[in-house]
Amino acid sequence: MARMKFICDAERCIECNGCVTACKNEHEVPWGVNRRRVVTINDGVPGERSMSVACMHCSDAPCQAVCPVDCFYKTEEGVVLHDKDLCIGCGYCFYACPFGAPQFPQSGAFGLRGKMDKCTFCAGGPEADNSEDEFRKYGRNRLAEGKLPACAEMCSTKALLGGDADVLSDIYRERVLKRGKGAEIWGWATAYGKPEQKPAEQPAKTGEKS
Amino acid sequence: MKRFMTGLCMCVWLALCSVAPVLAADDLASEQARRQVEQPLNNAPVWKEVRSGQQNYTSVRGVDAGVLINPGGQTWRALRNGPVTLYGGLIFCVFALAIGAFYKIRGKIMLSEPKTGRLIERFNSAERIAHWSMAISFCILMASGLVMLFGKHVLLPVIGYTLFGLLAQLCKNVHNFVGPVFLMSVLFFIVMFVKDNVWQAIDALWIRKVGGLVSGEHVPSHRFNFGEKTWFWLGVVFLGLLVSASGLVLNFPNFEQGRLLMQQANIVHVVSALIIMTLSLGHIYIGTLGMEGAIDGMKSGYVDETWAKEHHELWYNAAKHTARHSDEIQRSPDTSGSVART
Ligand code: SF4
Ligand code: SF4
Repeated sequence: MARMKFICDAERCIECNGCVTACKNEHEVPWGVNRRRVVTINDGVPGERSMSVACMHCSDAPCQAVCPVDCFYKTEEGVVLHDKDLCIGCGYCFYACPFGAPQFPQSGAFGLRGKMDKCTFCAGGPEADNSEDEFRKYGRNRLAEGKLPACAEMCSTKALLGGDADVLSDIYRERVLKRGKGAEIWGWATAYGKPEQKPAEQPAKTGEKS
Repeated sequence: MKRFMTGLCMCVWLALCSVAPVLAADDLASEQARRQVEQPLNNAPVWKEVRSGQQNYTSVRGVDAGVLINPGGQTWRALRNGPVTLYGGLIFCVFALAIGAFYKIRGKIMLSEPKTGRLIERFNSAERIAHWSMAISFCILMASGLVMLFGKHVLLPVIGYTLFGLLAQLCKNVHNFVGPVFLMSVLFFIVMFVKDNVWQAIDALWIRKVGGLVSGEHVPSHRFNFGEKTWFWLGVVFLGLLVSASGLVLNFPNFEQGRLLMQQANIVHVVSALIIMTLSLGHIYIGTLGMEGAIDGMKSGYVDETWAKEHHELWYNAAKHTARHSDEIQRSPDTSGSVART
């Protein structure tokens, strides 16, 4: 049985938010709820990096551990799903989740948050596969249709990959090997100090450019 | 001991990580910019930054949406699911058992002389309303809070998912709406009772004799003895306000406070609630089962002369001129709120 995983390649993500849009459209997620988001670190500074993030379907899921009604369960493929009929909207999963994945349709006074909503790896919920109820509560069940998550399918640079962990790691490993310029990407210089050889000097600028 | 130390370290760390993010972010951003030239593809500074919990840019709106990794989550999980639930539950149960044992050994504290049938007003109706609105809301919060913290381990295996889901939903909503009622009644209560709970010289005697709890001796006191005063200051004022304030942080996510604050508030809330609940068992016991005549004051507002004399002698001396026979009181109940104070 495959173990489902997402991976986002920060060297490829261009912050187009295609995945975010694909997700919202595929599942008809209500306004104000975003199961996926793109975060840009050091926005506007040279070396900025973007990451698309949603539920990462943790092996030892913190959300599951803290939920007071124990409404999370794990499918055979390692996808973390939850039962909205049980959820009491306490928000604990949101406190615990490392990635800020759980979302709430409201953030009302007196803790009225509504039922928690999060990325399902396009695998629906406890209801019958592709039933109307399932779609209404959790969105489309693409896995049951033999498809992979819509966000990863949509990704224009294939930064975001979703699927069998073995396949993903092979793809990523190959990318790293092709892309890399040797030890630098493994952090060699980080461990043993700066490289002695500076990269080739930029040709000296002559005169001011306007 | 080791676990306790880890718990302590984590508490400190939880407090520290609220200040940590501001420290390094700028350095890391410039370091990454430098690396971009010197060692392209080496993103180490970025990934260090990600763990700092700082807000980054995102076009999605939401609480902490710009934070890529939530650094406090794991600490909160470990604290709440670990020592807080385990030791909190243990202490609560052990204390309940200890009270049971005390009842077995010491029995009900009886009056040593017969009742005279003449009553003294101890609490006027406003005071009783303040007490009972606090007490009732407290009990509701205690029951619903216990379901939410321990229900998963205790009730869920017994009653099943569907029933427990409904119960937890009910408990959560009741808890959230009754919470502010508790806060209001605590404030009302403090205003009503603060005057008679100020420490007095005679309290030293009570402390020396541990209230006569073991010896059975009657220690004189004014309107409230040192035990009651401690419960007032520690239980109602300190813990009551702490539990309410932290509860407010959790109860109003509409102000969009961040997760770190909510995690900290939750730990403060649960810990202070567990302490106040544990202590309340003692108060509830002595006010009902544990002492003859103690409940009367809060039930009807009147206590028997004998009770007043044995438990609050100095107050009795000042108030005995108001003592009347129960028949008289029934004919013309004194609702003027003229409880004698000393
Ligand atoms: S919601 Fe968060 S904690 Fe739960 S499985 Fe997804 S990423 Fe992990
Ligand atoms: S919000 Fe719902 S899913 Fe999340 S911890 Fe609370 S009950 Fe569980």
